Amino acid sequence: MKFNRLIAGILLIASAGAAGAAPSAQAILAASDAIRNPGKPFALTVTLVEYRNARQVDGNTLTVYSKADANSGQFRSLIRFVAPARDANKLMLKSGNDLWFFDPSSKASIRLSPQQRLLGQAANGDVVTVNLAKDYQAQLAAEENVLDGDRQSRRCYKLALAAVSPDVTYHHIEMWIDASNSRPVKARFYTESGQLLKTAYYRRYQAQLGVERPTETVIIDGLDPNWVTVMRYSDYVWRDVPEAWLQRDYLPRFKPE
Amino acid sequence: MRILALFLLAAMSSPALADDADAAALLLADKTTMTAEQSSDWHVYVEAAAREARERGANPSLHGTRTSIDARFDQTFAPGWRAVFADRLDMNRMNGVSGNQDINTLKEAYLSWQAQPDRIADLGRINARNGVAFGYNPTDYFRSGALRSIVSLDPASLRENRLGSAMLRGQALWNGGSLTALYSPKLADKPSNADFSPDFGATNQRDRWQIALSDKLSEALNPQWLLSGGAGQSPQLGLNLTALPSDATVAYFEWSGGRAPSLAAQALMSPDDTAFRSRVSSGLTYTTPNNISFTAEYEYNGAGLHEAGWNALRRGRPAAYALYRNFVANLQELPTRDNLFLYAVWQDALVKNLDLTAMVRHDLVDHSRLQWLEMRYHWTRVDVALQTQLDTGQPGSNYGALPDRRLWQAVARYFF
Repeated sequence: MKFNRLIAGILLIASAGAAGAAPSAQAILAASDAIRNPGKPFALTVTLVEYRNARQVDGNTLTVYSKADANSGQFRSLIRFVAPARDANKLMLKSGNDLWFFDPSSKASIRLSPQQRLLGQAANGDVVTVNLAKDYQAQLAAEENVLDGDRQSRRCYKLALAAVSPDVTYHHIEMWIDASNSRPVKARFYTESGQLLKTAYYRRYQAQLGVERPTETVIIDGLDPNWVTVMRYSDYVWRDVPEAWLQRDYLPRFKPE
Repeated sequence: MRILALFLLAAMSSPALADDADAAALLLADKTTMTAEQSSDWHVYVEAAAREARERGANPSLHGTRTSIDARFDQTFAPGWRAVFADRLDMNRMNGVSGNQDINTLKEAYLSWQAQPDRIADLGRINARNGVAFGYNPTDYFRSGALRSIVSLDPASLRENRLGSAMLRGQALWNGGSLTALYSPKLADKPSNADFSPDFGATNQRDRWQIALSDKLSEALNPQWLLSGGAGQSPQLGLNLTALPSDATVAYFEWSGGRAPSLAAQALMSPDDTAFRSRVSSGLTYTTPNNISFTAEYEYNGAGLHEAGWNALRRGRPAAYALYRNFVANLQELPTRDNLFLYAVWQDALVKNLDLTAMVRHDLVDHSRLQWLEMRYHWTRVDVALQTQLDTGQPGSNYGALPDRRLWQAVARYFF
């Protein structure tokens, strides 16, 4: 558990010591990252269901293999499409902004820009693991009660996150993190001009790989709130992927058992 | 009244949900039931197509149908061992033309042995494909002779429906790079038209080899270098490079160069004119915020005909012209020196699950043009598509000489 909770605890204590009473915003964010993201290489299944006006319009199943980069601390991910049948066995590799798509039928490895989306509403960066504390500078904006994804009132730190480099998916983020246990509760993602892109609720907390983690994210479009994507995470397993596999040239080879 | 006041007070003091829309979305999520699908070793679809081709002049339209079965099998049957098989059968029925036939394309059939996570060997028929460009791939050295049945001129279809070459291939990988070497032997003298022939004569007419090296120079730069050769040719050097000028733009550059005779000299058995010749395909893909991707690509074939040579061939003997066109088409080469390729894909175009794809091939030497448009709507297991193609240009020009001026095709595909 212990490892992640311990780290989260140490970060909180260390920052609390430095600041007097309240933990630093960056430490709160790092602690919440540790709840969302396992601390060792892992694999999981992501199932997406997309709604328009309360009607299901799309569904996808993906298997995601993630491993943190030893230098940057940011995750690199291999994403394998499982369903629908049309897309089965297609692959995506995401290593920072290096994004490749591979289709086994045509053997074509195509480089994608971060703006190209393969999964409808969800940005490519949404389906993979991201350590926000590596990409964003956090400031404590408020401490307030908000309703979580289960409509329960939670005492939360409200953090204002600003991107530290221009090559991340979102320019700035508002994030609410449970003050009692560092669980991410809710986030709002914005463009540079301040337009709300989407709202996300983190919910269905379950014990996965030793920590209570959110196993569902509900994404609501910023412009059209009737556009909703439910992302559910299952089949968590510790799974190391050799460094040599996380490159374009291995995509035609990638075939997990 | 007091109860109402208390209720209002309670409502005001409780934290407000951002808005009703969030509550409605969460309610929808509550009701969502999902089952994670399992992956399969098989990927199979059947496709039915009907087409109408309007030829040039006053000839009546030709109508025809096609039924296709496409199957791909990829299984790890023992630790480190993998078997891959991909095959396609096209059953064509065109009214009023001879040569209706069933064409089977044995795309791939090989065994793969991963002795270590970073050491792999393959043996069999493999579709070894190179190149980062979209419309023309000078470094895709194993594309010659690979097209046995053309069902669409969409580059994605041409890449998918082709023969691999029989070869032995080895690959070593390391963090950020890899080295691949392959040898493809001569197995037959000439192609076969037999319906179910594996057609090794189309892909393995001579001994060939290739070495490919990738190594990450920096976070932004990961070039791939290739060296390819074989019986009766000088080695050709190749380079593939991509870059990300902005978070919405991918730039790519593909080059192949080496000593080679011109395509005309090879096709027409003309005197040897071997010289150092380059082939280039380079462009940009820009994606708009609403997910429309535009690609513009410039294509240069240093072994193709320049304007004077092309005009002379068009005005010369028809047999020589036909020989050159067939030779170049079989190699998947460009007949002329300079071409422009435009490609646009709009996913979820206005309506969810409707994809629009448009392509223009413009010959910069003779100004002929091929225009292709597809509307594709998909459900979970079914795709329906309507495609149209318009070929314009002077008689004998690159695209003006294609037999069909206007082509319509309706396609339905079912995925198992």
